Amino acid sequence: MGARLEVRSLCKSFGSLSVLNNWSLNIRESERIVLLGPSGSGKTTFLRLIAGLEKPSSGEIKLSSQQMGFVFQEPRLIPWRTVEDNLLFVNEKGDISGILEKLRLSGFAGFFPAQLSGGMQQRVNLARALLVEPELLILDEAFSSLDLPVKTSIMKDINLHWQEKHFTIIAVTHDLKEALFLADRIIILSPAPSVIVRELPVTLGEIRNFSSPEFLHLEGQLLDIVCSASH
Amino acid sequence: MKTGLRSLVGIIVFILLWQLLAVILDKSIIVPTPGETFGLFFRLLLSPATLLAGLQTAWKVLMALGLVLLLGLPLGLIIGLFEPLYDMSRPIIMVIQAVPVISWLSLVLFTWGRNWQGPVLIAFLSILPIAILTTVSGVRNLDKKLLEMARLYQVPARKIMHDIYFGSLLPFIIAIIDVSLGQAWKVILVAEYLCGDSGLGLKIFDARSFVDTPSVYAYTLLAVLLGIITERLIKMGTGRLSKLWVPV
Repeated sequence: MGARLEVRSLCKSFGSLSVLNNWSLNIRESERIVLLGPSGSGKTTFLRLIAGLEKPSSGEIKLSSQQMGFVFQEPRLIPWRTVEDNLLFVNEKGDISGILEKLRLSGFAGFFPAQLSGGMQQRVNLARALLVEPELLILDEAFSSLDLPVKTSIMKDINLHWQEKHFTIIAVTHDLKEALFLADRIIILSPAPSVIVRELPVTLGEIRNFSSPEFLHLEGQLLDIVCSASH
Repeated sequence: MKTGLRSLVGIIVFILLWQLLAVILDKSIIVPTPGETFGLFFRLLLSPATLLAGLQTAWKVLMALGLVLLLGLPLGLIIGLFEPLYDMSRPIIMVIQAVPVISWLSLVLFTWGRNWQGPVLIAFLSILPIAILTTVSGVRNLDKKLLEMARLYQVPARKIMHDIYFGSLLPFIIAIIDVSLGQAWKVILVAEYLCGDSGLGLKIFDARSFVDTPSVYAYTLLAVLLGIITERLIKMGTGRLSKLWVPV
């Protein structure tokens, strides 16, 4: 089951720099949310606040479960540990061979991060997040450094895993296609100090295709909203 | 192969220059000939008393190094983790580092007289600051993002220490051993010469007392040889440890 999140009047500043300005938001169990906004709009800060890596300046965040997996923008794997050891590091009792198989990493348990491609390192990053059986999966621009085929393949894996486990997903990205591929609801942000400009429900089915007319139509609509939000 | 050959040529040239100098000076009390020195060196090598002295010196070096690692690494780790502690201890470390070896020697002589502990303590004090400061530098260079990841996944402190801290600090630990070993050899020999009751330093002291210059040279040669052997052995050990821990 997924985690539930309630955000009330959340503000976050770093010194005199205000980043988040009075955010209020409800995220339902098993919902897939994507935050879309310009650089510096506090997307990553919001994720770090949820994960407890930062403290809010004011307001509150209520999270129904602390069991979370975090897919960082950069893989953050321990360089001198094998793939298997990197996974054991976060959960000694987890089903490592199962998760490696699901993410098509079966033959790489004994490899070191430096021996893997960027895409595979990111898969290990995802495997580590899924190994803790998360009720909330956080994706922080997790695919920004990957090319489209690799990105799509990993996103498909996430969707498959989500269909099985129904955890809640909160992701941030700049990429409209990525947002539409993953989300049940997209939250569009203004530049900093950011406010939530609009929420867009994604009415596409479970199997999403980048070139379908519905996808392209929604992408165009999303582009208009994002452009107007940036101004 | 080429490098080995060049090194051999270098050694031969050095010995020839030494021979030339000995012939020109013609004073065995200042520069004995290489033949005389090597002859004595091989005779000394077969003497149990010399081998015992060599082992005593090597043992002291290893003991000083072991103590430095045992105390310096944890101290460096703690000081590196807590900024106020670093600010507080830095002046003390700097003072220990700046105190000349002869001052430690005098203090040790006043306190204990000539014994084996003196050289170990002096070597320990002279390399401890290096170990602490290098470890502090290692802690400060640690990848904070890895620590953040560990915190997020609520990884136990024991595992963080083992998997992240030790792995990150390993190159620094190896650097400490590399730097400290050579220095420990030199300091122990000097300390044995001036305040020791055993070891190669004392043998050199005795040879000097009897104005036996060839023996001074031969013992020095033995000290150099033992120093190189110890260094190679320890490097092999650290190399294996490093490969085990950080194979790529």
